[in-house]
Amino acid sequence: MKSKLIIMAGLVSLPLVLAVCLALGSTTIGPGDLNTDLGRAILSLRLTRVLTGFLVGASLACSGAVLQGLLRNPLAEPYILGVSGGAALGAALAILGGWAGLMLPSCAFAGGLAALALVYGLAQQNGVPSVYGLLLSGAIINALCSSLLMLIISTINVEGLHSITWWMLGNLQGPSKPLLKAGWAINALGMIGLWLMAREFNALTLGRDMAHHLGVRTGRVVLLGMALSALLAAVGVAMAGLIGFVGLIVPHQVRNWVGPDLRRLIPLSALAGGMFLVICDTLARVVFAPVEIPVGVITALLGGPFFLLLLRRRRKSGWLE
Amino acid sequence: MKPVFECERLVAGYRRVPVIRDLSVAVKEGEFLALLGPDGAGKSTLLRVLTGLLSPISGSAKAFGRPVSRMKPSERARLMAVVPQELSTPMAYTVEDLAAMGRSSALRPWEGLGENDRHIVERAMIYADVIELRGSCIEALSGGEKQRAIIAMALAQEPRVLLMDEPTTHLDMNHALEIMQIVERLNREQGVTVLMTSHDLNLVSEFCGRLLLMDGGRMIADGPPADVLREDVLQSVYHCDIRVQRNIHTHATLVVPTRRFDCLSSGALVRVHVIAGGGSGGELLRRLCIDGYGATCGVLNRRDTDALAAEALGVKAALEEPFSPVGPAALSQAQAFAREADALVICEVPFGPGNLANLDIADEALRRGIRVFVNTSRLEQRDFCGHRAAIGRIQRLLDGGAVQWRQLDDLMRELSGLGSLPRGAPEGGSCVGRANLT
Repeated sequence: MKSKLIIMAGLVSLPLVLAVCLALGSTTIGPGDLNTDLGRAILSLRLTRVLTGFLVGASLACSGAVLQGLLRNPLAEPYILGVSGGAALGAALAILGGWAGLMLPSCAFAGGLAALALVYGLAQQNGVPSVYGLLLSGAIINALCSSLLMLIISTINVEGLHSITWWMLGNLQGPSKPLLKAGWAINALGMIGLWLMAREFNALTLGRDMAHHLGVRTGRVVLLGMALSALLAAVGVAMAGLIGFVGLIVPHQVRNWVGPDLRRLIPLSALAGGMFLVICDTLARVVFAPVEIPVGVITALLGGPFFLLLLRRRRKSGWLE
Repeated sequence: MKPVFECERLVAGYRRVPVIRDLSVAVKEGEFLALLGPDGAGKSTLLRVLTGLLSPISGSAKAFGRPVSRMKPSERARLMAVVPQELSTPMAYTVEDLAAMGRSSALRPWEGLGENDRHIVERAMIYADVIELRGSCIEALSGGEKQRAIIAMALAQEPRVLLMDEPTTHLDMNHALEIMQIVERLNREQGVTVLMTSHDLNLVSEFCGRLLLMDGGRMIADGPPADVLREDVLQSVYHCDIRVQRNIHTHATLVVPTRRFDCLSSGALVRVHVIAGGGSGGELLRRLCIDGYGATCGVLNRRDTDALAAEALGVKAALEEPFSPVGPAALSQAQAFAREADALVICEVPFGPGNLANLDIADEALRRGIRVFVNTSRLEQRDFCGHRAAIGRIQRLLDGGAVQWRQLDDLMRELSGLGSLPRGAPEGGSCVGRANLT
C-alpha cells in the first residue's frame, strides 16, 4: 500500500522535476525564450545535461542497489569493484596524452572495465568469485589505481591537473550527442537486464546455497549481476566522471520506503537516483551562478550527512543490524 | 516407480579428498527418514550431493532417476526443497516475503506473483503455522518461528522431497517437537518424502520410519529405529557408553548415553547397603554412585524399577523373582552385603508380607552396631502388612538406635560424616533423629 503510493508519487513528480530543472540555470533564460536562437541553444544544452544527469544518476543508483544485495554488504556501491580507480586512471592517461573529444570517455570506460576484469581475475576460485574476494580485490585495485593516478598528477602540467581534478569531481557538461545516445542505449538495456534477474538477486541475499536450493543458477547470476552493475557504473563514469554517494545513499533511502525486494527496488532506485542527480546538477548550476561547481561536490555535501542520518535509523531502512 | 534418491558407490568430498566413501543407498517416495552419525560422518556432505551443490567424485547420485548434477536448477527446485541449518540475511524480509521466495523458480523473470502463486504461498504459511506472523520481520522471530518461516518457503516450492539439515539443532524441545509434527503431517497428508539429518536420536526415532546411520563417510546401518539404534552399533560409532531402552510414554526406542561413575569424592571407603523397591531407591543409588560410595542393594524383585536402576549403575543387588516374596537364598545374599556395609539405609518403600523380611537385615545390622537410617515419611500409607506390622518393626528399629530420615540431602550429609566416625558411634543430626512413631 505504502509502496504503491511512493511509486505513484515518483511517477508524478518525475516530469515536474525535469521541467523545473530545465527552466532553471545560471542565466535567466527560461521556457519563454524558446522562440529566440540563444534561448533554443541554451535550453538544448540544458536538456542534454538533464538527460545525462538522469541517466548517470539512475545507472549509479541501480547499480548500487544490486551490488548491495549481491555482496550482502550495506556499504557496497557502484565503484566498489575497482571501476572508479580504473576509470580515473584511464581518463588521466587520456588527458596526459592530450586526447580530447570521445577519447577521454572511451579511455575512462576502458580503464574501468580493465580494472573490473582484474578484480574478477583476482577474486575467483574455481570459476566463481567469492564475495569477500571481490570486496578485497576491488579495494586493492582501487588503491593501486589511485596511487598511479597520484604519480600522473604529480608530474602533469597545471592545465592537465585542472582537467583531471574537474573530471574526478564529476560534472555533467561533457558528453556529446552520440556518446549520450550510446550511453542511454547501453544503460537502459543494462537496467532492464538487472530487473529481469531481480528475483534471483533476492534469493541470493539469503546466501548462495539457499539461492541454489531455490533454483537459481548462482554462479551465472552473480557473475552477470556484477558485470552489468559494473558496466552501468563504467558508462556513468565515462559520461560524467566520478560522482560519489548517489549509488550508496539512493538505494538505502528507497529501501527505506519500499522494502528490500529488488523487483521494486531496482526501478524505483533508478527513478529516484535520476531525479536526485538532476536536482543536484541544477543546484550546482544555480547556487553560485554564474560560477558553476562540480555536481560531485553537491552530491557529497548532501550525501554525507544524509548517510549519517540513515545509519542512525538503519533498522527501518530494510537492513538489519 | 523410480526411487526419489539413489546413490551407487558414491564417493564425494572437497578438493578431491573424499568425505563420503563408497556409499550406496536408495530412498523411496513417501518415506520419512533421518540421517544420523557423529560430526564429520558425512551427513551434510551427502545432503550437498543430493541437492546438487557438490558433484560426485565417482559413483552416481540420482534423484528421480536422473543424475542430480545434470538437472536444470529450476526443475530441481520444483522437485526438492531444502531447509538449511541456519539462514541469515541482511535484508529485513517479512515472513510473507520469505515464503514468496519459494516461488522463485516457478515464475518467468518478468512475471509477478499470480493468483495461484499467492494461494500456494498462503497455504504454505498455514501449513507451517506462520500465517499470523506473515507481516513480521524474520529477524524479530524466535528460533522456532524462524525455522517455521523457512519451512513455509520450502513448502511454497511445492516439492516432492523435503531435505532438512539439522532443523532442530538450535531449538528448545517444544519447538523441536513442533517442527517435527509439522513435517510429519506433511509426510502423511501430502506424501512428501522427508530426509533430515539430526543429532537427536530420540526425536527422530519417535517420528521417522527409517534411519540411516553414517560414520566415516560410510553407511553403517539402515533400517527401522529399533534395528539401527542398537547398543553395540551406537557404541562403536559414538565411542561412549550407550543404553537403549523403550520410552515408557510412547514406546519409541530411547537412546541414553550413560556417564561413567568414577570415584569423584570422599565416599569411596564407606559402603552403604540400601533397602528399597518400587522406585524408592533409584535416586539414592545414583547419588551414592556419583559420590563414590560402595553401594549394595536388596532384596529387590527382578525388573523392579530399582533393580533396573541398580543394574544400570552397576550396583550389586540381591534379587528375587518378579512378584515373589523374599526367599531365603536372596535374603542371605542381602545379609552378606549388609555385613560388609558401614551403613544401611531403608528407603520410602512400601512394605507387605512379601518384602517384610528385608527388615530382618536391618535388625541384624543394628545388632552388629552398623548405622541404620530409616525413612519414616508417610509410613501409614505404605504399610500393607496388616496389623501395622511394618510400622511396629520400624518403631523397634528406631528404639534400637536406628536414625530416621526424610530428605535425601540430609541423609547424604549424614552419610558423608560416616567416613570420619568410628563404626557404630551413636548420634544423629539435626533433621535426622530418633522419634516415636506412635
